[in-house]
Amino acid sequence: MAYALVALGFVLALNASGAVNFAHGDLVVLGGAVAVLLAAWLGLPGFLLLPLVALALAGAGVLAAHVAILPLARRPPEATFVATIALAAMIEQTLTVTMGAAPRTTPPFLGSGAVTIAGVPLGLQPLAIVIVGAVLVAALWFLLERTQIGRRMRAVAADRHMARAVGIPVRRYVTLSLALSGALAGIAGFLLGHQFLVTPTQGGSHMLKAYIAVALGGWGSVPGALIGALAIGLFETFVSAEVGDAWASAALYIAVLLVLTLRPRGLFGEPVGQRA
Amino acid sequence: MVERLATLVGIYALLGLGYQIVFGQLRALNLAQGALFGVGAYATALTALHLGPFALLVAPLAAAAVAALAAPPMLRLQSHYFALATLALASLINLVAVNAEDLTGGANGLVGFGLALPRGTTLTILVWLVLVAAVVAYASVFKGRMGEKARLLRDAPLVAASVGIDAGLWRFLAFVIGGVCAGLAGGFSAALTGVVSPEATGFSVMLLCLTAVVVGGARHPLGAVLGAAVAVLLPELFRGLQGSWLLAYAAATLAVVLWAPEGLTGLFTRRRALSIPLVVAPSSGPRRLELDRVSKRFGGVEALRDVSFTVDRGEIVGLIGPNGSGKTTLLNTISGLEPADAGTITLDGAHLERLPAHAIARHGIGRTFQTPIEGEARGAGLARALATGAAFLLLDEPAAGMTDRERDLLASQLRGLRRNHGIILVDHDVELLTRVCDRLVCLDSGKVIAVGSPAEVRADPKVRASFLGVPA
Repeated sequence: MAYALVALGFVLALNASGAVNFAHGDLVVLGGAVAVLLAAWLGLPGFLLLPLVALALAGAGVLAAHVAILPLARRPPEATFVATIALAAMIEQTLTVTMGAAPRTTPPFLGSGAVTIAGVPLGLQPLAIVIVGAVLVAALWFLLERTQIGRRMRAVAADRHMARAVGIPVRRYVTLSLALSGALAGIAGFLLGHQFLVTPTQGGSHMLKAYIAVALGGWGSVPGALIGALAIGLFETFVSAEVGDAWASAALYIAVLLVLTLRPRGLFGEPVGQRA
Repeated sequence: MVERLATLVGIYALLGLGYQIVFGQLRALNLAQGALFGVGAYATALTALHLGPFALLVAPLAAAAVAALAAPPMLRLQSHYFALATLALASLINLVAVNAEDLTGGANGLVGFGLALPRGTTLTILVWLVLVAAVVAYASVFKGRMGEKARLLRDAPLVAASVGIDAGLWRFLAFVIGGVCAGLAGGFSAALTGVVSPEATGFSVMLLCLTAVVVGGARHPLGAVLGAAVAVLLPELFRGLQGSWLLAYAAATLAVVLWAPEGLTGLFTRRRALSIPLVVAPSSGPRRLELDRVSKRFGGVEALRDVSFTVDRGEIVGLIGPNGSGKTTLLNTISGLEPADAGTITLDGAHLERLPAHAIARHGIGRTFQTPIEGEARGAGLARALATGAAFLLLDEPAAGMTDRERDLLASQLRGLRRNHGIILVDHDVELLTRVCDRLVCLDSGKVIAVGSPAEVRADPKVRASFLGVPA
């Protein structure tokens, strides 16, 4: 479910900017790091930290939009690729320098115990991830499908020139999408950070998984990204339980190459047309 | 120390030069270049004790083999999928390096092979000899027509296909040759350090390579050399920064992308106007283009249904029909951009319907597109189609946006071209078509509903109904 948040943020930024945001994984890590810092400073419980982390990372998203995405809107998408790769390296290095390479852990959302529901013991944190994730996915769906702001965001994603022509302030909506994308990344980083720890170098693998989820689910499709992310989560859980982590990752990459070979536009095609 | 730095600059310059071919010339974001460097390093390390200095030759071969093996399925992919596929390939190589302990020594890597390889000054000279040769080769290849073709491929891929450039072959060669450079650089690096660890396949090498190329200039022959020099020497200058040199480095890359998109070398060269390579001399060639029951579906929509007609050299056939009737689709099908599902398209009896777009262009069919390349003068599309030496021209709305005077000029140009060419002309201006065409073909919902002289077709009740939207 946390992958779903990462992938959803990724696809939002992708649609808004028309290019892959390679710094997205590092925004996730940054979310974890901010949570660690805030927890040390304020000592607040997890569910109060969540909005703060989301806010901070929304700010980071806005910054990313202004530094690496908006100035390059008129250039080929590869320029944005390179700029965001550079941004990713900057975040990673800043974190390495400031907090060191040692892994940290974020505070749990509710608590680290377990509850027993209908005789099945469930960890509080995984439960919190699923619930928070589901709530956010539902909220995002409502925003995109049922509000004027969401319709405009989708219009910008579908065709920015046309959106501008009908009077939508494109830059503002790109910034807004990046802020949302950053907030989702931050929440995901915070929630993942308790179980899987926070290390500065994780960004790449978060980004890669979101990228895979989006590519498999259908480029630019929000439900596709969700399905893709859940599929990767399940795949990893079951395959790594069978054969170990290394083989699971290898199998995932090979599966990606195979899928791209057989279906050059993702498993479900590319509903929104060709876009880079 | 100085010698070591010089060698290092040479190695990264070689890696970057290979990357320039893929990323700079073809604008394909290949994220596996760093991993191919690692493949070269491991290949040399593994064979050094058996082959001695010749192990350096194994490096480019191994990297090229991996690249060639992985390339065919990846080259069809659009930019973002290509980046993902190369990233997956790179991650896979890295995973093998870390986990295949019997082969690669796992996380500890391989050591103890360095003495079998050239070292010190010999290595420095060897690296720079190879680099100079590679730079000269690169400069001479991309200086003339090849450079123009590469530019057309990255700026206007459809147009490139329509003048007969095989994009697939180009990308394959670029990917493999880029891999050769990466592998060789990896081999040299193994010789220089005497150690190969999974780090050699990691993303930091890729980042270094990308940065060097972006900072130096993605296409200039000396771009990679300059970029590599900056990338290797800057950290030496800022030793005080210690671990944060990568940070400074990434910031520099970002700054260059934002403010000097052509890189440092780009600051010294001026941008030239896009020019089109002349591929073939004036037309002799085929006499008759024949379409027989050509059909094309998009999902459930029948875009073309059993379209049959012929065009001879020396005649202009106008294609009319309401919006969405299949006019542009028909041109795309003839020129191979959207292959037909059924039916045959022949040029003097030679079948075209299974050929890729560039091959059809080479058979002598040139075409223009509705939207011109940005910044290109009107009429350039026609000039380009002519420049291929095509015997048959497919013109898609050449008069769009023209004034009456320009239309008159176009009409007289087309009459002049008719002497030597067969032309299919799509336009909404029925008056213009009536003036210049020998025959008109009217399409409606993908079907030919009328063929004949302009007067006959315009008088046809079915044609009138289709334009006015009432049943005949």
